[in-house]
Amino acid sequence: MGSAATVLMLARESLANRRATAILTILSIAISSALLLGVERIRTETRSGFMSTVSGTDLIVGARSGDINLLLYSVFRIGSPTNNITWQSYQEIAGQPVVDWSIPISLGDSHRGFRVMGTNTDYFRYYRYKRSRMLTFAEGQAFEAVFDTVLGADVAEELGYRLGEQIVIAHGAGATSFIQHDDKPFTVVGILDRTGTPIDRTVHVGLEGIEAIHADWNEGGRAPGQSLSAEEVLELDLQPEAITAFLLGLKSRVATFGLQRKINEYPQEPLMAIIPGVTLQQLWQLIRGVEVALLAISLCVVIAGLIGMLSAILTSLGERRREMAILRAIGARPWHILALMTSEGALLAVIGVSLGIALVTGLSFLTAGWLKQRFGIFLPVQWPGPIEWLFAGLVLAAALLVSLWPAWRAYRNALADGLSVRI
Amino acid sequence: MVSAERATVEASNLVFAWPGQETVLNIDELAVAAGERVFLSGPSGSGKSTLLGLIGGVLTPRSGTLEVLGQPLHELRASDRDRLRADEIGFIFQQFNLLPFLDVVTNVSLACRFSDRRRDRALAQSSSEEAEATRLLHHLGIDSELLMRPVTQLSIGQQQRVAAARALIGSPGLLIADEPTSALDSGLRAQFIELLVAECESAGTALLFVSHDLSLRTQFDRSIRLTDINRTKGTDG
Ligand SMILES: Nc1ncnc2c1ncn2[C@@H]1O[C@H](COP(=O)(O)OP(=O)(O)O)[C@@H](O)[C@H]1O
Ligand SMILES: [Mg+2]
Repeated sequence: MGSAATVLMLARESLANRRATAILTILSIAISSALLLGVERIRTETRSGFMSTVSGTDLIVGARSGDINLLLYSVFRIGSPTNNITWQSYQEIAGQPVVDWSIPISLGDSHRGFRVMGTNTDYFRYYRYKRSRMLTFAEGQAFEAVFDTVLGADVAEELGYRLGEQIVIAHGAGATSFIQHDDKPFTVVGILDRTGTPIDRTVHVGLEGIEAIHADWNEGGRAPGQSLSAEEVLELDLQPEAITAFLLGLKSRVATFGLQRKINEYPQEPLMAIIPGVTLQQLWQLIRGVEVALLAISLCVVIAGLIGMLSAILTSLGERRREMAILRAIGARPWHILALMTSEGALLAVIGVSLGIALVTGLSFLTAGWLKQRFGIFLPVQWPGPIEWLFAGLVLAAALLVSLWPAWRAYRNALADGLSVRI
Repeated sequence: MVSAERATVEASNLVFAWPGQETVLNIDELAVAAGERVFLSGPSGSGKSTLLGLIGGVLTPRSGTLEVLGQPLHELRASDRDRLRADEIGFIFQQFNLLPFLDVVTNVSLACRFSDRRRDRALAQSSSEEAEATRLLHHLGIDSELLMRPVTQLSIGQQQRVAAARALIGSPGLLIADEPTSALDSGLRAQFIELLVAECESAGTALLFVSHDLSLRTQFDRSIRLTDINRTKGTDG
């Protein structure tokens, strides 16, 4: 065994001998680095998650409100729309020569906590996520009949729905909406493959379906004495008068700004068009302060963890002067003492940071489902990315640097004490 | 192996002072022959441990010459002195000789880990460092069942014998024992010294043994009083 291996063995055994302190130190490093890595992971993953959800769309158009609000409700199912757009405006804009495709969106209903989105079959043809992926069906196909519905992967899984099942849509977005459109149930005709986007948590129906369940309603309530059966409704003209928003894909990206200006100045009604990437940037700008604060807090926690380690090692130094003198007596060089103390710090830090990585990976595995349900944030369970490795490396380097101090003191003591430590 | 004809320790006009203190040692002449067993006595505070630190190469003399096993310690760099100590000098202190976090055998074999020479000489005796450690421990009266115990559970007498085994492993040229028996009951002292002397003899190791219990000196080839060879007076003794 070389002397370097001996030093490592001594560091390991000596730490094992002071197990309780060592474990506490490791835990404090693990928890603090897990916090730092977790904050960083949520930050980068929400960004790339949001970005991938809108990657195929050039413009989103809705009633004039806030850019971020429009983005959030139209594609992320967060928040709620303020106003509608008329079908006529939609037709006119979608008919522009620069437009390649359009997807209408009608929101406002829900099914057992999952949002219902009215659209048409262009959605399945043109919508793209994660750069260029198309929506694909795990089972069944797109809706055809008025009372057909296509479920996102999570909806089907969490509610245990199969093809052919009948579901009732409730008015409003809450999980416990009391007003049910229970006289007009929908049939599940398709279940989408998992996308890792809010689509997984969406119930899709045709625009006519949305129109049909509201046919005997006005002003948001059921019109008294006017109830229509599902059959009677089908007789009506189910062409919607208004939709909530629509997505546009253009033939050429170059046309984006021109069309956006045109829509924003649309004379017939107050409309707004946003470029998803630009608005996302605004969103990040908005929460940047919070992110920086979170990162700063977790950095402070890491520093506190390192101070804990430092104090643990420094405290042990006094009682270990004797050990150092023994080592010197059997031929250890001063640098062995330096290396011994530094490798104790290094061992604590390496184990601590590794545990922290395991912790954050395990925790993201455990909380992925909850984050998705509760906040619609899709955290992929994966190994730490390059930035996380960089952070882990920085924590390690800082720990090494910090443990140089007690190491240096032990080294000085060992030289000054010689072989005679007076205790 | 150290050549038998070469002196183990040869010091002349050796002067040492701790930083900021008066001179503790000023020794005209001191010599220990190869394989010789020397008893060194002196009142507490007279500089016995300091002298051992100089011979062990941990301290550097102010002036004078100090040769240990043919090496001029007063001229060597610190790292070369460390190497000489690792290779050729075994230490036993008064107490707390062992690392509490290592088992008995590892405490002994550890002395081979910082010196290739000592390891090679240990391996010339036994098949492994651990086997050599166990062999020495048996010679010094440590039973096999004790080997499994944490060192903190050994009696002081047992701990001192483990320390002796560590000082002896790899047959160093010189064994320095700094009051190794002063924490032992008087009945155990003679027995410990007998074992130590026997092992030094069979390994050809010179022994420099410090104690203020003059009754022990009969077991040695020669007895030196530090106050006789030191021209300064001890500070508190
Ligand atoms: N590590 C040290 N630092 C400073 N002074 C020391 C140190 N060790 C010993 N001394 C001083 O050197 C003198 C001799 O001490 P020492 O060699 O330990 O004597 P002895 O071993 O004979 O009792 C004492 O005055 C003591 O205070
Ligand atoms: Mg002493």
